[in-house]
Amino acid sequence: MQSQSPYALEIRNLRTVFPGPAGPLPIVDDVSLAVRPGEMLAVVGESGSGKSMTFMSALGLIAAPGRVESGTVRVGGVDLVGLAPEALRACRGSMISMIFQDPLSGLNPVFTVGDQIVEVLRAHRRISRRQAREKAVELLERVQIPDPRRRLDDYPHQFSGGMRQRVLTAMAIAHEPQVLIADEPTTALDVTVQAQVLDLIDTLRRETGMAVVLITHDLGIVARHADSMTVMYAGRVVEQGSVARVFADPRHPYTRSLLRGIPRIDSPVEGDLMSIRGQPPLPGSVRHGCAFEGRCYLGRGRVDCLRNRPELNIIGDPEHLSACHYAESLHDEEMPA
Amino acid sequence: MTTLMTSSTTKVDPDAAMPATGRFAPMLAHPGLMAGAGILIILVLVAVFAPWLAPHSPTKTDLMATLAPPSLTFPLGTDQFGRDVLSRLIWGARVSLQVALAVVVLSLSIGSLLGALAGYAGGWIERIITIVNDVLLAFPGFLLALAIVAARGSSLQSIVLAVSIAYVPRVAVVMRAVVLTIKPKPFIEASHAIGVSNFRILVKHIIPNATPPVIVVATVSAATAILAEAGLSFLGLGVQPPTPTWGNIISDGQTSIVEHPLISISAGLCIAATVIALNLMGDGLRDTLDPQMRRQTGLKAL
Amino acid sequence: MNAVQAKAGPLLQVTDLAKTFGATHRLVPKGFSVRAVDGVSFSLNEGETLGLVGETGSGKSTLGRLVLKLIEPTSGKIEFQGVDVTGWQGKQARSLRARMQMVFQDPFGSLDPRMTVNDLVREPMVVHGYGKDDIEVRLESTLLQVGIDPRMGKRYPHEFSGGQRQRIGIARALVLEPKLLVLDEPVSALDVSIQAQILNLLRDIQRRTGIAYLFIAHDLAVVRHISDRVAVMYLGRIAETAPRQSLYAAPRHPYTKALLSAVPTPDPARERGKRRIPLHGEIGSAAAMPGGCSFHPRCFRARQAATLPGVEVEPWRDTRLPRACMREVPVLPAGVHRAACHFADLVDEGLNEQAPSPSCQANAAVGAV
Repeated sequence: MQSQSPYALEIRNLRTVFPGPAGPLPIVDDVSLAVRPGEMLAVVGESGSGKSMTFMSALGLIAAPGRVESGTVRVGGVDLVGLAPEALRACRGSMISMIFQDPLSGLNPVFTVGDQIVEVLRAHRRISRRQAREKAVELLERVQIPDPRRRLDDYPHQFSGGMRQRVLTAMAIAHEPQVLIADEPTTALDVTVQAQVLDLIDTLRRETGMAVVLITHDLGIVARHADSMTVMYAGRVVEQGSVARVFADPRHPYTRSLLRGIPRIDSPVEGDLMSIRGQPPLPGSVRHGCAFEGRCYLGRGRVDCLRNRPELNIIGDPEHLSACHYAESLHDEEMPA
Repeated sequence: MTTLMTSSTTKVDPDAAMPATGRFAPMLAHPGLMAGAGILIILVLVAVFAPWLAPHSPTKTDLMATLAPPSLTFPLGTDQFGRDVLSRLIWGARVSLQVALAVVVLSLSIGSLLGALAGYAGGWIERIITIVNDVLLAFPGFLLALAIVAARGSSLQSIVLAVSIAYVPRVAVVMRAVVLTIKPKPFIEASHAIGVSNFRILVKHIIPNATPPVIVVATVSAATAILAEAGLSFLGLGVQPPTPTWGNIISDGQTSIVEHPLISISAGLCIAATVIALNLMGDGLRDTLDPQMRRQTGLKAL
Repeated sequence: MNAVQAKAGPLLQVTDLAKTFGATHRLVPKGFSVRAVDGVSFSLNEGETLGLVGETGSGKSTLGRLVLKLIEPTSGKIEFQGVDVTGWQGKQARSLRARMQMVFQDPFGSLDPRMTVNDLVREPMVVHGYGKDDIEVRLESTLLQVGIDPRMGKRYPHEFSGGQRQRIGIARALVLEPKLLVLDEPVSALDVSIQAQILNLLRDIQRRTGIAYLFIAHDLAVVRHISDRVAVMYLGRIAETAPRQSLYAAPRHPYTKALLSAVPTPDPARERGKRRIPLHGEIGSAAAMPGGCSFHPRCFRARQAATLPGVEVEPWRDTRLPRACMREVPVLPAGVHRAACHFADLVDEGLNEQAPSPSCQANAAVGAV
């Protein structure tokens, strides 16, 4: 089952819908993205952007009445969409795994950390408890938890937030997956601990050649750790490309507005931040035309923005894509002060 | 006074936000609530208009027509004294519903107040109320009611008092638990920050937010009150004959249950219907009294 | 920067404020108590914004509540508009509320879900005895001021988005026209694009009304954007305080340096080349505070200072640290840019920190001591 594709994870035209009062609402609306082995892709977006839902869909974690309507999700040559539940369960954790935002709720408080790691290990491999325990110690060492053998028998509440996230990372990499999805892994952590956890993920990525998808809203983290990035808005991909490229030359008004609207510690403070008027749309509420039209600084009421959904087009670099009718001609002068 | 449309502030578009819903719209849409309320309304109407609805007098005996089977004159037949069962059921509704209403009002008001006070004030006030509560709770409700009725003598008032005393602690306990979950919420702290007095916080913020679970307990207590009254009357300790109550109708029908089961069964069904209606209403009220409509789509997870 | 009227004395003066949670009874061993705030002093002038930055366990949220008298201090003094209000209780304390207010972190949890927006914004006025007509006028103007359409007033909080709810919270805090607003992480629960809206709104309000802000947050970039002066807290004490430009351009406390180094900036070229300052271990627990300078277990400067000639050292775990760091609590010296460190003037070698951008340096030269 050798994969011919150069990508560790390849999502094509994924569409996930939830039933709504007037027909199905697309929560993930024709999303395509890909990550190469050893690379980190950052998926950036705000609430309702569909960034988490995309990967929940990929792993088959969408609960009824929502469902994945169409599209493919390929990991190691296998298309996860349409797999039988048992086969999908076998893939989860072994080929592709996920860590979530809140490390406290990801761990069962009444079991020791060791028990939980052992459980994960034995879920996909037939090994004895003793062997699993040894492997668990190894894993804790790998995620740089000091005194791992003793810590195996501690309960989650005896660990700090950053340590718990490391434990969850250990559980996620236990079977050396090809792809690791990290959904806002550091949002609940202090900034100094955040740096440690992300550095750890970087190290693991380099050591094992694992592909990592980092879902985040923090552009600073993206700049520091990610190789490529995908910007999502209202369930759609609006811009995609290498991190260097997108930061240097953003080609979508949303991306430009975001970059201009965040407070920074490295540049002088002048006047107000650029804010985007209005608020992010409710998931699945955008039907026709461009999802960002109502908030775009280019001005409301442009006919093609209202009627036609912009396609993802190549801008210059073949890896740099943007979904805006005016992507080629965006200039700084148009942006409000 | 100030300009509204600056580039930095955002005017909220009244059309863009979710449509405001009427106060009662969610209630009308809730099937359980409507069903329960419907049954209850029918029962209340029956009880109120008993004198006009009942075909015969509930107490008039006719020793010529004892234990008659159902017929056009006596739709449900007669009991061993020749009294029309249907009329007795209709009049019996009055007693049952009176008991239920009285118990709910008493236990809800006193119990909520005690529970809220205990939960909010803490300290020795809480300890005292909790200890008294626990002592009362240790008695099985029915036994407590039985003891009180035995001491005071059987009458409608006794039953109401007895069941209320049994139920006040149950309401108080639930109320206290709910208040304890509301107390640490940020909006309570925000109220302190505004300078709202403790009394006002308790009355305007805590109790309204604590009501939904308590309403459910109240409807359960109404149901239990009806059952308790029925039980006590069945044992002969409740409302005395010839006044009909569903409980003593079951009791009267006990002796002839094999040949004429309809007497007891029909009374039992009345009780069952009322209790079910109350439970449905309770659940429905709890669901809909929250200003937030809880919709069942997975969108909530987003 | 605001043109602040020269008034006699600062709006708020806090001296040696401390708060210990947990049993402080003699019979209970000391280990049970948590020194959340451990001797904090600062002042805040009218119309000024003081940013309070810290991570978990820094005590910044507790400090905010102490200032507002939502929590009683264990010791210390709070002076508001020149009056000692530390001992004020009950009704007296409530009268203070008209002059200092709070905005909370959780935009949904901080609004009573069963009250309409109108009721929520009216309540402070009702409680403080405003007249009916006055209430209605102020209600409408305050809602407009924060960008909420008064026609939406009859709706419930859950019908609004996070950013809108936070505006409602701000409206409720402003309606009594307080002199001081304590903001506890007001934008951390909001989307990035909405954060900018709310920060701009706050600045706008300050420009127009001259209100003072105590802005508590963990996000250094956000604090930088809105503050005139910044105080960095660590385990209940202020580690460093300075005017904004000099804190960010030339931090003097090792914790501040490490913190700034850990914050990723949205500039890939800069980030890839940046070498980060190592912080040993994790944040200590406020329940088991280290003696002396609470930062010494993690401090890179202490390890460096221990190698200098003439510095008394003591062994600590697998290394040696200066005796001063381990035994004596450093105090904030006098001045404008102050760092509570025994070796505040030591030049940190081998850190290879990124040079601040030229415009930053120019600003720093103007503002620094």
